[in-house]
Amino acid sequence: MTDQAIATSPEEQRALERFYYYEARLLDSRQYQDWLALLTEDVRYSMPSRVNVQVDNRERGKQQMLSVARELEGPEGSGNPLRDESYVHLMLRVERAYKINSWSENPPARTRRMVGNVELMARRDDEWDVLSNFQLFYARPGSRDVIYSGQRNDTLRVAEGGYRIARREVVLDYAEIEKPTLGLLF
Amino acid sequence: MQPTISELVNEDASLISRRCWSDEGVYALEKRGIFGKSWLFLGHESQVPNAGDFVQAYMCETPVILSRGEDGALYANVNSCTHRGLPVCRADHGNTRRFICPYHNWSYAVDGSLVTIPQESEVANRPDKSKLGLKRVPRVESWRGMVFGSFDEEIISLESYLGDMRYYLDAFFLRFPEGIEFVGAPHRWVLDANWKLPVENQLGDVNHGAFLHSAIIPREAQDIIEELGHSVVTAPGHGATFRLMPQDAPWQDVAWGMEAMGAILGGNEVQEYLREVQAHAAERVGELRARFKGLTFGVYPNLSFLWSNTSFKVSHPRGPGKVEYWSWAVVPADAPESIKKILRTNYSSFFGPAGLLEQEDSEVWTQQYIGSNIDFADDRPYYYGLGLGEEKPHPQFPGLVSVTANEFYARHFFLRWRDELMAAEAGL
Repeated sequence: MTDQAIATSPEEQRALERFYYYEARLLDSRQYQDWLALLTEDVRYSMPSRVNVQVDNRERGKQQMLSVARELEGPEGSGNPLRDESYVHLMLRVERAYKINSWSENPPARTRRMVGNVELMARRDDEWDVLSNFQLFYARPGSRDVIYSGQRNDTLRVAEGGYRIARREVVLDYAEIEKPTLGLLF
Repeated sequence: MQPTISELVNEDASLISRRCWSDEGVYALEKRGIFGKSWLFLGHESQVPNAGDFVQAYMCETPVILSRGEDGALYANVNSCTHRGLPVCRADHGNTRRFICPYHNWSYAVDGSLVTIPQESEVANRPDKSKLGLKRVPRVESWRGMVFGSFDEEIISLESYLGDMRYYLDAFFLRFPEGIEFVGAPHRWVLDANWKLPVENQLGDVNHGAFLHSAIIPREAQDIIEELGHSVVTAPGHGATFRLMPQDAPWQDVAWGMEAMGAILGGNEVQEYLREVQAHAAERVGELRARFKGLTFGVYPNLSFLWSNTSFKVSHPRGPGKVEYWSWAVVPADAPESIKKILRTNYSSFFGPAGLLEQEDSEVWTQQYIGSNIDFADDRPYYYGLGLGEEKPHPQFPGLVSVTANEFYARHFFLRWRDELMAAEAGL
């Protein structure tokens, strides 16, 4: 992926943003089954873990010293991502939400997310790479309110009738996690 | 008013006061009487294979650097400069020749000895650097690659401390010709809970599984635990639970790793690997232990191992009401890289900060802390009496053995806890 977003028409940009707003509304209104329908069945959903890395003296003064990628243990590396999930995992998470004995979601949490900074980064045939940022407010009964902050690095598959999420990497802005769970649908 | 320890845990530890979980004074005694006197897990040798390698660790709230010195030996030092107390290491892991304090650039070798004081050439009386190294953890020992440290110079050897727990841990470690390795950095997350509840949960409490986690774990899993499950206490505070599978059970039902998501979704390659490991299990750990299908393991005071989802965890206290929970995925060292990547999801699918099961556990740990702070309920201590006195020695296994519903693993933990806190209370 290059650094620069690629040129899009206003219509394309608007269609992408509408897709992400729709997705956010589904998740915040707990329509998880409908959200699942936005995924391809070969979806890969990951969340790298993030570490405080040692500064390499040889990289002093270079952009690479500050690179975010250095801090991430993602699904392709040999570290330990926080999540590395398939459709089956996400289906289990969604099914769980509809059970009254999913105690960490009963009563259900209240969420509200803002999705923005939507940038089309690459186009490969029917697959588009899209970046977006999010802020997610999360309130669970009996617990303190928390804000999740992060970036989503998606690959969307462009199909008839809209987009499907084929790959999502959620990069959270933390190394130490002071959140009750990272098991949400981001 | 500060409660007296003898009032918090009754004679047979079947009643445990809420104050054990929530009182600041009790926590101060825990720091001194338990964390100052026990072997505490620091890391695995696979994390620091080369000279100069280091990882961060904690001993209770004390930040510690575990490192491999130039001489190849393992060292543990408190991560705090002798000059003004700043941490001299900020990275979670890495390789270095020096730890350097940012304030005045005092620098230390990886074994913790002080190398340079940049300002010393400007003064007449030079300090004796040999006395100003980082505070060294006086005892560091390892067993099967697991590195522990203790602040108690007089503590018994690590192997004696682990005692018969080695028999149960070896049922896992010795399955793999090259042993195990820890994958990547630990997942670390902070919960509003007392450190002892995650410990208890992983020490022997397998009977919450099909209840708390009933949205995911089917009742049949609990039936098997009730039929084949064993709970063992090798010494107070050390425990193991496992299913002893029948001799004629198909390999898929016995093999380590097969019941978790990585193997279930991972396809033929990983299943074939796990079949192969199981095929050699009897020759490596004996016929009896080859039939172990482990569940939870605990080493006093705060190390846990979850066999079924292959994770080591440490519950680091941050006061009575906060815990920083660390967990690592663990894989066989000799597995191919592609298989390690699949097996690590045996852990992360269900455990860790995003785990499908652990999100329920962290919820109840937090809620229990709220319950432990309720006013006017001190006359309702928690009931720990299930199966009281029903544990017995076993003809085949070391330690006291019982059904998994017997809460003796927790009672024995609290008997040791009580003794150690009473000693600390008496100023010993």
